[in-house]
Amino acid sequence: MTITRRGIVGVAAAAGVASALPGPWIRRASAAETIKIGSPSNLTGSQSSIDQPQVNGTKLKLKEINDAGGVLGRQLELVVYDCKSDPTVTATVASQLINQDKVVAGLGLNDSDYVLAAGPIFQKAGVAFVTPGATSPKLPEQIGDTTFLACFGDNVQAAADAEFVLSKLKAKNIYLLRDNGSEYTVLLAKYFEAALVNGGGKIVLRDDYKSGDRSFTAQITKLKAMSPKPEVLFISAQPDDVGLVVKQMRQAGVTQPIVGGDGYDTPLLVQVGGKGANNVYFSTHAYMAEDSTAPVKKFFGGYKKAYGTVPENAFAALGYDGMGLIADAITRAGSADPAKIRDALAASNGYPGVTGSISFRPGIRVPDKTVTIIGVKSGKLSLAGEIKPSWVATP
Amino acid sequence: MSPGLYIAQQIINGVSLGSLYALVAIGLSLVFGILRMTNFAHGDMMMVGAFAALTIGAAGVPFEWSLLGGIAIGALTGVIVERVAYRPVRGAADVTLLLTSLAVTYILENLGILLFTSSPHDFPIPEWLDSSYEFSDGQITFTQVNVLTVVLTGISLSLLGWFVTRTDMGLGMRAAAEDMQAANLVGLDVNKLIVIAFALASGFAGLAGVLWAAQAGVVEPSMGFTPLLKAFVAAIIGGFGSIAGALLGGYLLGALEVFIVAFLPSELSPYRDALVFSLLIAFLLFRPNGLLRTSREVKL
Repeated sequence: MTITRRGIVGVAAAAGVASALPGPWIRRASAAETIKIGSPSNLTGSQSSIDQPQVNGTKLKLKEINDAGGVLGRQLELVVYDCKSDPTVTATVASQLINQDKVVAGLGLNDSDYVLAAGPIFQKAGVAFVTPGATSPKLPEQIGDTTFLACFGDNVQAAADAEFVLSKLKAKNIYLLRDNGSEYTVLLAKYFEAALVNGGGKIVLRDDYKSGDRSFTAQITKLKAMSPKPEVLFISAQPDDVGLVVKQMRQAGVTQPIVGGDGYDTPLLVQVGGKGANNVYFSTHAYMAEDSTAPVKKFFGGYKKAYGTVPENAFAALGYDGMGLIADAITRAGSADPAKIRDALAASNGYPGVTGSISFRPGIRVPDKTVTIIGVKSGKLSLAGEIKPSWVATP
Repeated sequence: MSPGLYIAQQIINGVSLGSLYALVAIGLSLVFGILRMTNFAHGDMMMVGAFAALTIGAAGVPFEWSLLGGIAIGALTGVIVERVAYRPVRGAADVTLLLTSLAVTYILENLGILLFTSSPHDFPIPEWLDSSYEFSDGQITFTQVNVLTVVLTGISLSLLGWFVTRTDMGLGMRAAAEDMQAANLVGLDVNKLIVIAFALASGFAGLAGVLWAAQAGVVEPSMGFTPLLKAFVAAIIGGFGSIAGALLGGYLLGALEVFIVAFLPSELSPYRDALVFSLLIAFLLFRPNGLLRTSREVKL
């Protein structure tokens, strides 16, 4: 092949274009012997208040494992890319992780809409994908046998919420407000209603808003015009909206207790909600405080030492547990082959996580975990209950 | 709650929402009126104003001054963007201007992400602004922010009205909007008038941004997108290019959004946006130029 000037220019141009292509800005140099775990994460955007702590927790566990010698004599490497809270970008990132980085497992994304974007790509490649915090129990059936949840399903947390409302708050007439723009909030509301009705309660008024709305006054006025008034409000909301909804409710003089799901587990609830966040209860995966269980206390201390701040919410602990679960599966599989890792994950039994024990019943890829209920009083969070619901709606 | 009070409260809700939409729509119409250009970056001027107010306020400045700061910096950003991005392509095809404004949108948003990260930031408001009013035993409520929004909308509109009817510059702006070539011919400094129009429009956007942030309690770099969309709808309903039209359109849109939730059965609430836009389409079938604009003849 003759080397022509045009040829050189062409090669140089191609190299220039290739190096100028926008690449992820978090990328570790890969060493020869590391086991790569892919981590698509919404480090920026509306999901960041949940994903960022989760990634921190994951990295903390990764460091602990690597410092203790790694897995199967090899170091673990986390390949993190920012999905910008955009499902389209998430799908692109998933493809990149599979095709270019050739990861042997995936861990990340805490909202069902994003897992639905990345999951099928991992499924097609036969690579296991563990979501630390996306709670739709339909995900494993919707996507395939490589999708695992490290957290309880929405049907479980909604059932726990319903039990809490009926027995602890002693309320039967409930107002249901939901965000009709995302899978998580719609499913949560559906499962809550099923469990509530099963327990003898009743939805006296239901209403919708769309994520991104900044004014809920129309719905709130409708609620206030109700007579007789509902005893408790169940508001199924995303982390970006909870603070505002709660604040506007209280500003309009609505004083009833407000109950929600793990979307409320964000610092934004108290930051944006302010005084309005009082008398609010929500279900989540663990109670992140210094006076919690022993494993949480240890995690708490480790997180504070590594990041200089207390864990922002339970998703930090879920990220920690997700990483531990995958490492445990790789050890049991005895190899870094994606198919073997998937099988070992499916056989997980009693993995001791900070957020509870993780086991998968045969063929089921959603673990049975206890639900933690947290209450807000005077701007502070406190443990309001730990519930393992007796009746759970089928997904 | 008696039907009368219920309707009164929902009207209050609609007026508060409508004021915000009107503020954003007016800026859009101002720019379109003069330059025949759809300024997609308008939503990001809101974002700039809000973040400016946030930063100034974080330095300890009282809210009133950070509000003015937000308006001023919004206006300044508009002027800079006009000079740097729009003036060089003035006179080019409409598509070029559109794409340029899209580019400005991306640049501003990503600048915001670089400087402030794309997570939502808490937007603190002072004590006096954080209160709410109650009437009729708590059945009618609205917040101080709502009051401030309506009051500031009124004041800024009166100032704008005075400006475009009583000052030479304002009259010049209207002349340029009607026929830029003729305005040039009679000796008006069209460049300066366009700069003033942009400053005004972006100042309005900055004000809207701060009020929107005060209402929402959070700011984030992508906050301008939804208001921009609503402002478009509002401006089109009222007649694109007409300031009075933008005002009318804003209030109509706010009222529509509230009333659909308030007076239709709850089962229809999920379809609120679909209903609003269906009405919009139906409306445009009969009056394509909006409420306050009639068809114009164009000499070929």
